[in-house]
Amino acid sequence: MFAQTTLATPDVSWLAIAPEITLGLGAAIVLLVEVQFLPPIRRLGALVGGILAVAFGFSVWQWIRVDELLTTTDSAEFLAGFLPFGEMIVMDHGSVLARFALLTVAALGIVSGWQLFERLGRRGAEALALVLLATSGFTLMASSVHLMMMFLGLEVGSIALYILAGITRDRISSDEAAIKYFLLGSVASAVFVYGVALVFAATGELSLLDARSFLSGTIVTRPAVLLIGMAMLVVGLGFKISAAPFHSWAPDVYQGAPAGIVGYMAAAAKIGGFAALIRVLHTAFPSLLAEWAPLIAGIATLSMVGGGILALVQDDVRRLLAYSGVTHAGFILMGMVGGGVGAPEIWFYLAVYTLQLVGAFGVVAVVAGATGGPTPIAAFRGLGRTQPMLAVAFGVLLLGMGGLPLTSGFVAKFGVFQTAWQAGFEWLVVVAVLASVVGFAFYLRVIVAMYMHDEADDAVPAPTMPSRTVVALTAIVTVVLGLLPAPLLELTARAIPL
Amino acid sequence: MLTWLIAAPALAALVVAFLPKDRKELYLPVGFLLSFVPLAIAGYLFFDFESGEAGFQFTERIPWYEPWGIEWNLGIDGISLGMVVLTTILFPISLAASTAINHKVKEFVVAVLFLEAGLIGTFLALDLFLFFVFFEAILVPMYFIIGIWGSERRIYAAIKFFLYTAFGSALMFAGIIALAFLHAGQEGVASFAYQDLLGLDLDVVDERLLFAAFGLAFAIKVPMFPLHTWLPDAHVEAPTAGSVLLAGVMLKLGTYGLLRFNLGLFPEASVDAVPIMATLGVIGIVYGAAVAIVQPDLKRLVAYSSVSHLGFIVLGTFALTSAGLQGAVIQNVNHGLTTGALFLLVGMIYERRHTKKIADFGGLWKVMPIYAGLFLFATFASIGIPGLNGFVGEFLILVGSYATLPVFAIIAASGVVLAAIYLLWAFERVFTGVPDKPENQALKDVNGREIALMAPLVVLILLLGLYPQVLLEKTEASTEAILDRIEAVTDYEVPAPGRLDDVFVAEGAEE
Repeated sequence: MFAQTTLATPDVSWLAIAPEITLGLGAAIVLLVEVQFLPPIRRLGALVGGILAVAFGFSVWQWIRVDELLTTTDSAEFLAGFLPFGEMIVMDHGSVLARFALLTVAALGIVSGWQLFERLGRRGAEALALVLLATSGFTLMASSVHLMMMFLGLEVGSIALYILAGITRDRISSDEAAIKYFLLGSVASAVFVYGVALVFAATGELSLLDARSFLSGTIVTRPAVLLIGMAMLVVGLGFKISAAPFHSWAPDVYQGAPAGIVGYMAAAAKIGGFAALIRVLHTAFPSLLAEWAPLIAGIATLSMVGGGILALVQDDVRRLLAYSGVTHAGFILMGMVGGGVGAPEIWFYLAVYTLQLVGAFGVVAVVAGATGGPTPIAAFRGLGRTQPMLAVAFGVLLLGMGGLPLTSGFVAKFGVFQTAWQAGFEWLVVVAVLASVVGFAFYLRVIVAMYMHDEADDAVPAPTMPSRTVVALTAIVTVVLGLLPAPLLELTARAIPL
Repeated sequence: MLTWLIAAPALAALVVAFLPKDRKELYLPVGFLLSFVPLAIAGYLFFDFESGEAGFQFTERIPWYEPWGIEWNLGIDGISLGMVVLTTILFPISLAASTAINHKVKEFVVAVLFLEAGLIGTFLALDLFLFFVFFEAILVPMYFIIGIWGSERRIYAAIKFFLYTAFGSALMFAGIIALAFLHAGQEGVASFAYQDLLGLDLDVVDERLLFAAFGLAFAIKVPMFPLHTWLPDAHVEAPTAGSVLLAGVMLKLGTYGLLRFNLGLFPEASVDAVPIMATLGVIGIVYGAAVAIVQPDLKRLVAYSSVSHLGFIVLGTFALTSAGLQGAVIQNVNHGLTTGALFLLVGMIYERRHTKKIADFGGLWKVMPIYAGLFLFATFASIGIPGLNGFVGEFLILVGSYATLPVFAIIAASGVVLAAIYLLWAFERVFTGVPDKPENQALKDVNGREIALMAPLVVLILLLGLYPQVLLEKTEASTEAILDRIEAVTDYEVPAPGRLDDVFVAEGAEE
């Protein structure tokens, strides 16, 4: 018996969680260094950059290892590498892509919002550590194939974001945003946990893979419990990705939270949420595709149409981007209605969109200025004249989000549209193409302000070097991936979930 | 070669974009000179083009992203050849006509050159995905051209233009995806290539829906009644170059698209749609002309005349006869030349007087004789006086449509008369009589630059009027091929003297 147990003990592949370990340890090191040496924030920034780079390096290593594993014929080696830690975590292309994306937006988010970290003074270290922790939480969430693990990741990530939303204590709107985000987020987490409980009640499993094999081999006697549980998981994650009708927190949080960090917050929550959603629905419930695909299609429709209409009437660019984020959640959800086959398209969309989001919030942070004040559309007036490069980049980013051809956004939209079409949801594609036109209507409002109106009264401060770099980089990537998307498409094409 | 034709204006735009900030005087001349590169390439293509060959020439096919079946797929045939050449001719002229642009000159030149790249791309693209990319991408430069350098209500006009056309093409995009998957269903691989999609076997309902999706996009672009309301606003607010390019080339995307994609890909549905399309075309002809008569503003008048003239092209296209199709193709080019000339002339007088109101003028003939002469020439071309290009196109369209749609042809013929009324009446009010307003008495006649701008248009108008064979011989094979395919795929048969061959057969029979 003993011999058997020792034989069955899997090789723990530390590589599978090396990025998370790096990030978690890194957060602790940042805080300790801060307390011990009181270094200038710039040094801490460099340290965080190093931590992110190491984590990214591990991710690249993971990617190569996954490629190796897929060619191996040794099934034991394959399983040990693929599912280390006994079916808690999976190391597949999807999870590594999530790490790439999350680490990238973390790095770009910190750089573009660097002014905020400087202004926070001694608490800048806390903010940096929180970004690292949030990233580790969401990467964990993206690579978990176990509902408890997923919940852990979700909470680690979310709680860090709640604090980040209120990190500028001197601004009342920031506090309000943090409280709102925390309260609504907790409710969503509670719903998620309840969903976990119901799924456990129906299947007796918390591991997604076990749940799947249970469902494929058993006729569920009480489908209602299972379906309600599944729907609650969708609701909980729908909150994270700010899909309608679970989006009500997004505009207030985007508007209230410090402009320098909102881009990262929004992007990280979307990546983590979608990664988890693909896993839950596709890995655990492929047999229920016929049940959940219409649900997802319904949420997608509501998000694209509702988000688009509400975005039209916004006067603050941050709220506008929040509602546009709702529409994007809808577009991305379209990639799921066909099951796991749409995952590559979802990953491409997420990568493209989150980059644009971070870049766009980089511009918003510049316009908001040092005080992080409101950013009405009127504040962007005449930006085309006063800050021509910034305006061009923002215009490209907005058109990219709108999905204009020759930008990456168009390729991304095309990807999810064709997935939905192939899955038989032709009507959803028709809704979506019309919703994209509504999208142009609100993105153009900002462009009109930048190029066709005279200057605003308050001059927009010149962007600092770091934020200029991030904004320019994201805009360039938007165009380059619009012209030559093949390299990234080939990467994401491997991200078919289990 | 075709890739370079698209790349040349795009590279030119980049060159202008990187010109130093303190050399403002360079932007326009450099852009102007560089716009001769695509003209030269297009000229070479025109003369190297094999007449009598129906298929695509100078084709290039490179996969862009293979798993999705998207390709960089270019080619040119008789239908697109004229449009490409027209495009490359109108761009240098438009740039040279833009000396009145005095702010953000660099951005203007860059936008115009990118617009050229996009327009050429739309005419050359044979991959439907690629076509859509260009079709949609050109909205952006045009949107900025209207919105930044336009007149008072420019923002309203620019947004209306953008959203109208974006809305139109949205459903076409769904249609393109549908086609690719239909191809995947039948052949195993998704393809967006026009050449591949021709072989699709569509069922009736699918084909009609697809026809409608594509038709809506192109009908808005043309624009066909009742989807034309964006056009007068866009034209009136756009700067001269914007109007010239909008009317001269951009509207043609609509008629080109109907001919290339609706007739080409959906022959069955096209035959069924003839009554609807012909009715809308004729309504456009008469309505556009009637509304043009009462316009108090010269630019608005020319804009509505476009609605009328493009109605002819739609009618000719859906007459489904050789003469009708040939007339449609050649009239596409003709309208670009004549309306371009008219917009240029209106722009010249606007730069001098800062008004476009017909009532503000009078007796200009005495003050600006050369200008008046040029205006009269363009007016005649637009009305379709024999010897000038408009006559050839409209005559072919009327002859062609009389064979299959006699009633429509008769009503459409009234459009020619109406054109004479609105144009000559406007001419009378602007140019004849005594120049009684003091502002008008001091007007300077056109200068050398302006004459040079008009000269190529005048020459081409005469050339196509007197010897249309230059263009017709190149288009013949392609339009015949479209009819051949329609006859092969559907029950439709072109009635007796409707085909080019018919004429020759009749001659032979006499001998």
